[in-house]
Amino acid sequence: MDEFEEILQDFLIEAFELIEQLDQDLVELETRPDDLDLLNRIFRVAHTIKGASSFLNFDVLTHLTHHMENLLNMARHGDLVIDANVMDVILESIDLMKALLVRIRDHGEDSGLDVSGCVARLDVVANGESEPAPVAIETPMVQAPVVSTANEEEPDYANMSDAQVEAEIERLLAQNQAEAIAKRAGVAVVSAEVAEPDYANMSDAEVEAEIERLLLEKQSQDAAKRAQKSQNAAPQEPVAPSAPAVVLAPAPQPKTEVAPVAKAAPSAPAPRRSEPKEEGDSKGGGVEQTIRVDVKRLDHLMNLIGELVLGKNRLIKINDDVEERYEGEAFLEELNQVVSIVSLVTTDLQIAVMKTRMLPIGKVFNKFPRMIRDLSRELNKKIELEIAGEDTELDKSIVEEIGDPLVHIIRNSCDHGIEIGDVRMAAGKSEVGTIQLKAYHEGNHIVIQIIDDGKGLDADMLKQKSIEKGIITEKEADAMSEKEAFGLIFRPGFSTAAQVTSVSGRGVGMDVVKTNIEKLNGMIDIDSEVGHGTSMKLKIPLTLAIIQALLVGVQEEYYAIPLASVLETVRISKDDIYTVENRSVMRLRDEVLSLVHIGDIFEVERVFDSSEHAYVVVLGLAESKIGLIVDTLIGQEEIVIKSLGEYLKGIEGIAGATIRGDGGVTLIVDVAALMQMAKSVKSTIGSESGDAKKLGIKNSASDYCVMIVDDSKTDRTIMRKSLEPLGVTLVEAVDGVEALNILKQGDHYFDAMLIDIEMPRMDGYSLALEIKKYNKYKNLPLIAVTSRAGKADRMRGVESGMIEYITKPYSPEYLMNVVKRNIKFNEGL
Amino acid sequence: MSEKLQQIINRQNQALIGDDQKVDEVIQLVGFIVGEEEFSIPILSIQEIIKPISWTRVPQIPSYILGVFNLRGSVIPLIDLRARFGLPLQKHTDETRFIVMKNGDDVAGFVIDRLTEAIRMPKRDIGPAPDTISESETMIDGVGKQADRIVTILKVHKLLERNF
Repeated sequence: MDEFEEILQDFLIEAFELIEQLDQDLVELETRPDDLDLLNRIFRVAHTIKGASSFLNFDVLTHLTHHMENLLNMARHGDLVIDANVMDVILESIDLMKALLVRIRDHGEDSGLDVSGCVARLDVVANGESEPAPVAIETPMVQAPVVSTANEEEPDYANMSDAQVEAEIERLLAQNQAEAIAKRAGVAVVSAEVAEPDYANMSDAEVEAEIERLLLEKQSQDAAKRAQKSQNAAPQEPVAPSAPAVVLAPAPQPKTEVAPVAKAAPSAPAPRRSEPKEEGDSKGGGVEQTIRVDVKRLDHLMNLIGELVLGKNRLIKINDDVEERYEGEAFLEELNQVVSIVSLVTTDLQIAVMKTRMLPIGKVFNKFPRMIRDLSRELNKKIELEIAGEDTELDKSIVEEIGDPLVHIIRNSCDHGIEIGDVRMAAGKSEVGTIQLKAYHEGNHIVIQIIDDGKGLDADMLKQKSIEKGIITEKEADAMSEKEAFGLIFRPGFSTAAQVTSVSGRGVGMDVVKTNIEKLNGMIDIDSEVGHGTSMKLKIPLTLAIIQALLVGVQEEYYAIPLASVLETVRISKDDIYTVENRSVMRLRDEVLSLVHIGDIFEVERVFDSSEHAYVVVLGLAESKIGLIVDTLIGQEEIVIKSLGEYLKGIEGIAGATIRGDGGVTLIVDVAALMQMAKSVKSTIGSESGDAKKLGIKNSASDYCVMIVDDSKTDRTIMRKSLEPLGVTLVEAVDGVEALNILKQGDHYFDAMLIDIEMPRMDGYSLALEIKKYNKYKNLPLIAVTSRAGKADRMRGVESGMIEYITKPYSPEYLMNVVKRNIKFNEGL
Repeated sequence: MSEKLQQIINRQNQALIGDDQKVDEVIQLVGFIVGEEEFSIPILSIQEIIKPISWTRVPQIPSYILGVFNLRGSVIPLIDLRARFGLPLQKHTDETRFIVMKNGDDVAGFVIDRLTEAIRMPKRDIGPAPDTISESETMIDGVGKQADRIVTILKVHKLLERNF
């Protein structure tokens, strides 16, 4: 149905373009009736539209254009002189053609317009014998037997006997045709009925009866379809009833009645699309319910929304800060409300735009019945395909990516999964193998399940083959769990087929599956039982641009891990980590999980020794799992994926970056690459560096280092003068931002910081808060030196992590003593 | 009337062309110091110049790339020109700036020690790069001679070229 829809759309676009040109040409033709070029052009339009519409089964349109073509052809060959009369008829026919096209565009069918009068006039002008009658009569005669066949067949489908499987597929295809023909018949009958009497060899009553019969047929067809649908998947139900509602309405006026019926018919297989059509009808038709939008525009919109989400995150953060700072003030309430409205609307907007990009997965599923049919012929097996949930929607970009992997999986199931008929019979199974293809939503994911009732995967056999092919060593094989063994089928070069056939055996296909699913941040879960079949579950995030992420910290760096790949997080103590062959592993329930430290992957300098406990983020991707050790878990956040740009693209392990609420950039972990890197990274877990301690050793007064942060040169000088007698190293910064940068550069190991509160760019409180975010500086003494002496100021100072509060003015000795105390200055040096 | 109009248009066109020729003769550069030397780049390849802001380290890249920073919603790489030119690193000072350069779609921030001035220089005062280095390798576009000093003009596209 979708393919048809696509062709139809293309046809309409083309036809309307042609007509636009046509109008101009006709006007010119009137002034220059002898211009052969013009005539040719007009002729071609009629011809093109005729060709396409006959292909698309728009018989009324075909009928009309056919006669137009005749006439124009004669004019073209000089058999007919175009005078005003002829022109009138041509113009009339073209107007009618436009009207038909508009009808097709709006309603998907070309019934309800009377063309016969015009056709007759065309023929009269053409001086030809008018013969519309055969067209009108022939069609219903052809249609009758076909529709009834389809009608009989439908209910049978569920209980289909094995022998009929192949024929069944043919029939399903035929059914579509039957539908189209039925529609055409309805159309033809209408035109016959409302047109000249010479159309109707039947009496009015006969026509009435014929329409009645067609209605009934449609109805039963729809009913059968609905029944078949509801067996497989429930969610269409709310839409389905709309079809009978229309059909059952009494039919006093065939002309208006047939149209809705024909419309209702296609609505059953694809209820989603039918909804707007029905609505449009009730509003009186004519109103366009869908518009085609360039995907680029949607992408741009999505980008803008991304920016908005970042802005929202930032606003929320600022709101939190403001709340902390001005606790209890009246305007906070208002601010809170605004922030929550903005964040709510942003989320809704994001969802709405995401939905515009959604396509039903049926678009992909549609090609499989044919594929299975061909494959079963080729492989000489009897295979039945059951599809469910084809209306499940997911992002366009994902729909495009998911096709290939599914093809490979299904081919694989047909070739390796389903046994040949005799073997199946011997095993006590039905001769016909079944492959189920299901799609459904699960939280923020879509799950696509491919289930076959074939011979299943044999873990030992898989291991054996892998060893033979040199993919794994025997030792590795021994350590493998059943699930891990199933995962072997995704290794490049792996194949169980004894010989390479045209269908499979090269050991490429399943590798493609894994790569593509990983690209989508998806997971693959295989379940299999020998002799009973295999179930493969693909779990794919709904959208790619804005994702939920888990933020983790290592030393003072943060990384975002796509939540789609996070299975769980666990807190472990150092003792839970074992080393096996130079690799760190841990026990997670009944599994052994290999571990890797995020710091080893991303070359993070280990400045301080982390605590006794560590957090392990268990990552799952495609079929593999790994434990990632991080220092801290920050939380879950909605992030917008931004590329690192051309200059930094392709950095291993980094999928992109995002901008956090505080305006900082956080890198997003590429889980697939990380898993690859984990294999080659040398483990340093448990051998945390001792550098931090070394830095603590003081041999002389100048080993002590104090930073002075103040925007006033005078104040800095006063502090410098006061502290110089100590002989400690002094570093100056003019504001919070600079101070932070100096800290980050790590040229000095500071023992204390003197911080002014009032500073441009970043004030003292914010600086203190920023500094305390770094694990490394958790214990760095921060001393506020300020003229703000209010109690509230002192409180804020303490809250932001200052440990001393010196009010200006102060005596040099006092300052010196406070500093000495805080840096534990050793007088003996 | 149309003749008159044509004449006016012609005259305007000529004036414009004349302007272009004048502009062509002089190029505008922005000079800055890295280490001991003064460099410059064409003013048109500068997107903006900002005071240092915080950045995020990116793993597995050469050390002269400090990382990435957020410029109003865009993630932009930050390159330390001192490190790029093989000079010892220095702490950022009051005068340190990030010059955000662009060449087509490529954008990156460069850390420089300090800005000097915008220079208008006649084209004829610009000599070729010293030919000791092969044409394709060098980052130097040319050398501008001024009364009291010489200014090295850098190739922005070369600076923005990924070379790892």
